[in-house]
Amino acid sequence: MALLSVREETMRFGGLFANQSISFDVEEGELLAVIGPNGAGKTTLFNVISGFFPPTSGSIQFDGKDITGAPSHQVASAGLVRTYQLVQLFKHLTVAENVEIGSHRVTRGGVFSALFRPEWMRKQEKNVCEGARELLRFVGLEHQADLQADKLPYGRQRLLEVARALAAKPRLLLLDEPAAGLNTQETEALADVITRIQRGGTTVILIEHDMSLVMKIAQRIVVLDFGKKIAEGTPDEIKAHPDVIAAYLGGTETVDA
Amino acid sequence: MTSHATISIEPAGIRWQAMLPVVAVVVVAGFGLLSSDYVVTVLGFAFIYTIFCTGLNFFMGYTGQASFGQSAFAAIGGYGSAILCADYGWEPLLALFATMALSGVAAVIVGFPTLRLRGHYLAMATFALGLIVYEVTIEWTGLTQGYMGYSGIPPLGIAGYELVTVKQQLVALVVLALFGVAVAARLRQSRFGRALASIAGSESAALALGVDIARYKLVAFVIAALYASAAGSLFAHFIGFISPEVFGVTMVVQSFAMLYLGGIGTMWGPTIGAIIVSVLPEALRGLKEMQDIGYTAILIFILIFAPRGLAGLSALFGRVRGRVKEAA
Amino acid sequence: MPNLVEFLQSVVNGIGVGLIYGLVGIGFCVIYNASGIVNFAQGVFVMLGGMVCQALLTQFGIPLMLAVALTIPLVAISGMIMELVIVRPMMHRGATLFAIILATLAAQIMIERITLLTFGDRPRTYHEFTTGGPLKIGDIAIGYQLFWILGCGALLVLLLWLFFTRTRTGRALRACSQNREAAQLLGVPVARMMLISFALSAALGAVAGILVTPTQYTAYNVGTPFGVNGFIAAIIGGFGRAGGALAGGLLLGVLQALAIVALGAGFKNVAALSALLVVLLLFPNGLFAGFSRGAKAH
Repeated sequence: MALLSVREETMRFGGLFANQSISFDVEEGELLAVIGPNGAGKTTLFNVISGFFPPTSGSIQFDGKDITGAPSHQVASAGLVRTYQLVQLFKHLTVAENVEIGSHRVTRGGVFSALFRPEWMRKQEKNVCEGARELLRFVGLEHQADLQADKLPYGRQRLLEVARALAAKPRLLLLDEPAAGLNTQETEALADVITRIQRGGTTVILIEHDMSLVMKIAQRIVVLDFGKKIAEGTPDEIKAHPDVIAAYLGGTETVDA
Repeated sequence: MTSHATISIEPAGIRWQAMLPVVAVVVVAGFGLLSSDYVVTVLGFAFIYTIFCTGLNFFMGYTGQASFGQSAFAAIGGYGSAILCADYGWEPLLALFATMALSGVAAVIVGFPTLRLRGHYLAMATFALGLIVYEVTIEWTGLTQGYMGYSGIPPLGIAGYELVTVKQQLVALVVLALFGVAVAARLRQSRFGRALASIAGSESAALALGVDIARYKLVAFVIAALYASAAGSLFAHFIGFISPEVFGVTMVVQSFAMLYLGGIGTMWGPTIGAIIVSVLPEALRGLKEMQDIGYTAILIFILIFAPRGLAGLSALFGRVRGRVKEAA
Repeated sequence: MPNLVEFLQSVVNGIGVGLIYGLVGIGFCVIYNASGIVNFAQGVFVMLGGMVCQALLTQFGIPLMLAVALTIPLVAISGMIMELVIVRPMMHRGATLFAIILATLAAQIMIERITLLTFGDRPRTYHEFTTGGPLKIGDIAIGYQLFWILGCGALLVLLLWLFFTRTRTGRALRACSQNREAAQLLGVPVARMMLISFALSAALGAVAGILVTPTQYTAYNVGTPFGVNGFIAAIIGGFGRAGGALAGGLLLGVLQALAIVALGAGFKNVAALSALLVVLLLFPNGLFAGFSRGAKAH
């Protein structure tokens, strides 16, 4: 059974269809990319899947459960964790603390355990702290652990955001244009990180503009244009797909692997 | 790179550094105990405000929200303790806890709808709450004796043993204030505290990580109300008299002055701010009438030129900052 | 039980004070639209209007119209000082919204205390503009000052409308409220617009204070209730809309007058504040949001 099933998902703002009857599945362990020209409805799709607004019609199934219209923090709690197109870090906290907050979903405890620090709580705190260091090593930020997050260069802020999302041990990770604003070198580092995430067993959906990145790491691609799904397939199939070529040639971008 | 320097601080070093403010507080209190009762009273105020501001810091500093109406909960604590102890002969400590519980419940009822608001609306709605309670303390004379105020409130005590001298009471207040700061620090350094900080950092990122924002905001609001209520009760017992003016708008502005002067969002900021703002006008005698002008001038000056407060000044020294962060 | 006469009388009283709230509410909107800031010190201008006018009248024996003509610019200057000394430096330094709100609240308390030290805490008042009265209609008494309030209020609203629609400055102010960055790009001097908005807003407060003082009294601490009620009026009207604030003020004034009849004078502020909470929670876009959407741009 698919980990995520999007069925006939439609999102309308006033008279405008941002998404129209979009359906696709994501299998466990897969790395799927969603591409399309600007304004094709990619981010809207992410916002609907991650519960930021309920779809006008259609349904979203995650891990066999219907999560259509569930509030976003519940969607996240279920294991579907996203990042944002514009980096949303906790700027006033340290790099390490940013990642530690990421573990919220997979830890427990409230006011009382914080006050009385039972054995399990102390153990959990230790794990959270060590887990954060490990994730920072994973993305190559271990030497900046105690830096305030907004002092990081932009490319590294992106990596921090990914590390923070990973701390939530997501079953499905949604990355919204993680390479936006990165230079070639940084994009390569990111591609490496994403590939390693997927090899580690985490399912990933990636929205991306950078075609070379998508063609290199995605296993399957869904193409949106004007809010509709116009194609779905492997990178090679997509490159040859007439509708995709038309959409991109008609738009401002070119398929260029 | 500075990061290496901060990593290399040994854990034992952090402990020792973290105890410095405690020593400072004890020294200040000790100085008070050797001085006149008047100085003791001033310091007593400072430590009561430490408790109030530590609670406010929870909601404003850690969680990044704003409440302009915390004085309402101090009024519930103050009047509740006054009435229960003076009229019904309750144990002060029991009254303290009972009124804290009442304030907590009130905070849940009020916070549940109000905390959905943001920005100016949240500020004004909470400000309105403070004003409503203030007006009620004036007008409901049957309960509060209005402008006359409430007197005859017994001093703090336990099981029939009363702290009769102000110096004994000051010791109790110092202990309670340090306890309050320690509790706040413990809460901040936990999964719970990190969730609050995530809300201050970015609500949408917090949501995406599974933080139930509405719930955590409410809990932070309730905690702030509990601290405010305790501060109100302690005030009533310490002075033995309360009137509506005690819990008016001045209290709100004064506590903000303390919070911003000391450093909002830091562990010791509220304490530093409370002590300085309480003691400063006393140190500059002759300024008596100008007290409020002094407070507001300080507050405006800080808001413009040093919005991170005195504790934030340590940011000028990279190494020290790492420790402050650890300690907070 | 209040009878019909009491009811009508309180409605009449409510309209007068409600119009004052409306003027203060418009003052909030003017600054908010130009700068995105809610100036918590708005009520202080009402207080200053009454106090300065009273001082000019009684201590210097200046005739009424001259006193009014002097008071308004004096208070307007106080508003400009507030903008220049507090708000502008904070905005330049990228202060948070709460910090700016807090600073204006602090400014209010500071001005109140300075007034207290200068004028003392004795409540003051002066004659109604026209002696005689009240006008009796049946058992209902209408003080002559109410006609002054209504007349000047209506005139002011008309002048404001002309200012915002017919003058260059007024249109520039409106452009700022639509989109400050765009206005700046189009060459609107945004900083000067903020200064003007504070001056205008303070002047409105001053007029409100001058008009209302003969019907009650003024003292160093009357600012807060006027400020809060003006804010409530603005919220009821859907923050930022001048017309809405005026309607909101009238509604609030009448509601408060009725609350006085029903609950006693002491609870008028509690009633108003409760109304604020209800509107904030149930109608966050104002009571008239439903049918005045088209009128949003004035």
